[in-house]
Amino acid sequence: MTRPVPFSQRRYFPAVLGLGSFAAFVIAVEFLVYADILNRFIIPPPSDVIGAFPRVIMEEHVLARFTQTALEALAASVLVTIFGVAGGVLLYQFTLLRRATETWVAAIAAAPLVLMYPLYLVIFGRNATTIVMMGFTAGLAPIILKTLEGLSGTRRVLINVGRSFNLTRSQQFWKILFPAALPTIFVGMRLGLIFALINIVGVEYLINFGGLGQLINELAERYDLAGTYAAICFVILVSIIVFALTERLERWLRPAG
Amino acid sequence: MTVVAMPSGRMPGAATAEPILTVDNIVKQFETPDGVLTAVDNVSLSVRPGEFFGVIGPSGCGKSTLFNIIGGLLDGYDGTVRVAGETVDGPHPSIGMIFQEESTFPWRSVIDNVAFPLEIAGLPKSERYDRARHFVSLVGLDGFERRFPAELSGGMRQRVSMARTLAAQPKIMLMDEPFAALDEQTRLLLGDKVLQIQQELKQTTLLITHNITEAVQLSDRIMVMTYRPGKVKRIVEIDLPRPRTSEIVSSEAFGRYVAQIWSDLREEATRGLVEDESRKLRGGAGAPP
Amino acid sequence: MAETGRLSAPSLAPSWVREHPVTALRIFIIVTVLLAWEGLARSGWLYRDVVPSLVAIGHALYETLADPTFYVHLYATFYEIAIGMAIGGVAGLAVGILIGGSKLMQRAYEPFLYYLGPCPKIIFFPVMIMWFGVGPGSKIAMGAISCFFPVALNVAGGMREIDKVLIRVGRSFRANTWQMVTKIYMPAMRHPIINGLRLGLGVCLIGTLLAETKLSNRGIGFLVIQAYTLFNMPQMYSLLIVLFVIAIGANALIGRLGGLDSIRRS
Repeated sequence: MTRPVPFSQRRYFPAVLGLGSFAAFVIAVEFLVYADILNRFIIPPPSDVIGAFPRVIMEEHVLARFTQTALEALAASVLVTIFGVAGGVLLYQFTLLRRATETWVAAIAAAPLVLMYPLYLVIFGRNATTIVMMGFTAGLAPIILKTLEGLSGTRRVLINVGRSFNLTRSQQFWKILFPAALPTIFVGMRLGLIFALINIVGVEYLINFGGLGQLINELAERYDLAGTYAAICFVILVSIIVFALTERLERWLRPAG
Repeated sequence: MTVVAMPSGRMPGAATAEPILTVDNIVKQFETPDGVLTAVDNVSLSVRPGEFFGVIGPSGCGKSTLFNIIGGLLDGYDGTVRVAGETVDGPHPSIGMIFQEESTFPWRSVIDNVAFPLEIAGLPKSERYDRARHFVSLVGLDGFERRFPAELSGGMRQRVSMARTLAAQPKIMLMDEPFAALDEQTRLLLGDKVLQIQQELKQTTLLITHNITEAVQLSDRIMVMTYRPGKVKRIVEIDLPRPRTSEIVSSEAFGRYVAQIWSDLREEATRGLVEDESRKLRGGAGAPP
Repeated sequence: MAETGRLSAPSLAPSWVREHPVTALRIFIIVTVLLAWEGLARSGWLYRDVVPSLVAIGHALYETLADPTFYVHLYATFYEIAIGMAIGGVAGLAVGILIGGSKLMQRAYEPFLYYLGPCPKIIFFPVMIMWFGVGPGSKIAMGAISCFFPVALNVAGGMREIDKVLIRVGRSFRANTWQMVTKIYMPAMRHPIINGLRLGLGVCLIGTLLAETKLSNRGIGFLVIQAYTLFNMPQMYSLLIVLFVIAIGANALIGRLGGLDSIRRS
């Protein structure tokens, strides 16, 4: 048991390998740019990009932009959760309605809804409402489907337990079905939030309004190469953090087992 | 190896022939978080051509490890496995394996499943289908050639696996609890089928199982293994008349063999149960992969 | 189901409705929505043309489909998506097999895919314009980037979920590496591969078309944004309808191909 483990089998080795390759890639790009093999007017040296971070953060009001994007995402995901869960419950309760429309909802979930943004621009104007509504539209169908999946996935035996205690219809829902479906609904909520966030940042960029997405657009239009790359890295970083945090949250909220 | 009473119905001279499969002093250890675990400890056996050889032991006695070693799917062990004198190193063309798990290819029809080994071997199309059809019919699945595994019952799927292994025409067939996932009736009927085919093809067969009835019903000899580490506890000669069918289960002689093997096995199974429970209580790992 | 009775038609309804309640409800929903739409269009409550009359949309749809230049744009978009899918799909398949095939590779590199996957891809568009120009090149790149992630993640997951006993069967019959890949791994992964391609096509379409709306002079995305600039709402609706029909149709088609497979063979 105590004999030394080879380095390649240690627990942190894969993470070191992954991050190491990433670092090696960045250094290689830096070198290739300085060797004039890569065009520095297309790909700025990574050191410039890193150097641009403080400038972008200080001068471009990143905090305010981040707050705006975050608030838009929050608004959209609250809307998505309310209407999505309600929609899922509705479809579960009315079998006929479900049989008539479930394939429609699935089709809408797969449709490229974000392409409707010019339409929303006409309806709501170039403002935060368009962005929030776009996020809402994109996230709604997935959460309806997830809620429905969670409710229908309730184990038969749990439903029979409820029946054996003579629960009323609403007791059956609130004491058995809903708690049983909750883990799946959380998955749906997270999905809805992520969909909303992707579409919000995307639409911000496309319509040049609002938070982080607009930042990328502005820097690109100014031909601030290092700044554009830095802003993109920043947005990726934010997405990863949100993604990882909600993942944690989901695991934490999910009942054990 | 001196067998006086020849079980009736078996190939005459089989007992005196050179063993087709010899396993010498196999030792296999696994590293687990709890330390080194010896799964198979110094197991030796030899199987004669045409013989039906049963290996029985409680769960966790290293039966499946032994199966994978003989089949050439596992390395890093001590000892040797020889087929007709030739040392096995990796999957050997003379050995066919039938796995415990459901192992038919869901994307292939029955006939394509059975033709699989022939396709791998590069046989021309018409020949491989002719041969595959023969083995499909041998396991009694005529008329099901174009069906897919999803449309078949568990017993039928296991027969497809059997036909697939037989189609490669191995000298030795290894079976690892092939009926474990099936219900009792299917298990008995499939046992009859296996015996019938084995007699028809004079197929040397090594059956690994933890089911005593199954082992006694099918085998010429049975090797009883101990619980962890897996050692040879005893080899029992089953002197029951052939051809046998599942009806033999109710005979008195059958009952005696079952009782004898059960008394050997009970100690081991009990020990296994106690050790497993205490391991679970300590929160340690169970059986090795 | 007890709930079925709640929405079913009253007993006075024609027997056809009682026999086909689902179809009847669907027709009812569609007719209601269309009537409400038309009512809204004619009421004048909303800003002019935001909700155009169905007649206007139908007319615009007809004009769009009858216009030969529409097909030039359709072809441009189709071409970009096809090449983007091919590049992203092949790259995704290769990376997925590589990552799914080894525990070390998976633990070292899958987090990158896993966390980059849900990022908004359109933000790479300014960079793609710098790399590949303002023409089709940058749109193809957007499509390829978008499609790469779902394909790679699905294939990597599919590799891991292959039933291990099937691999042992292949080895026991002494299949060589090529035979293992073509006769065991690929068919065993057909569902994740099809699913990855289905998701990949969806996001590839989005990536390509959004890029077209941002900066281009041809393609369906360009037509949409042109309709917006000209404030030609009926045409915008007709284009969106065409787009959704194509997207949902392609999605259903791939799903059907995969689904048929699963009914017969899984």
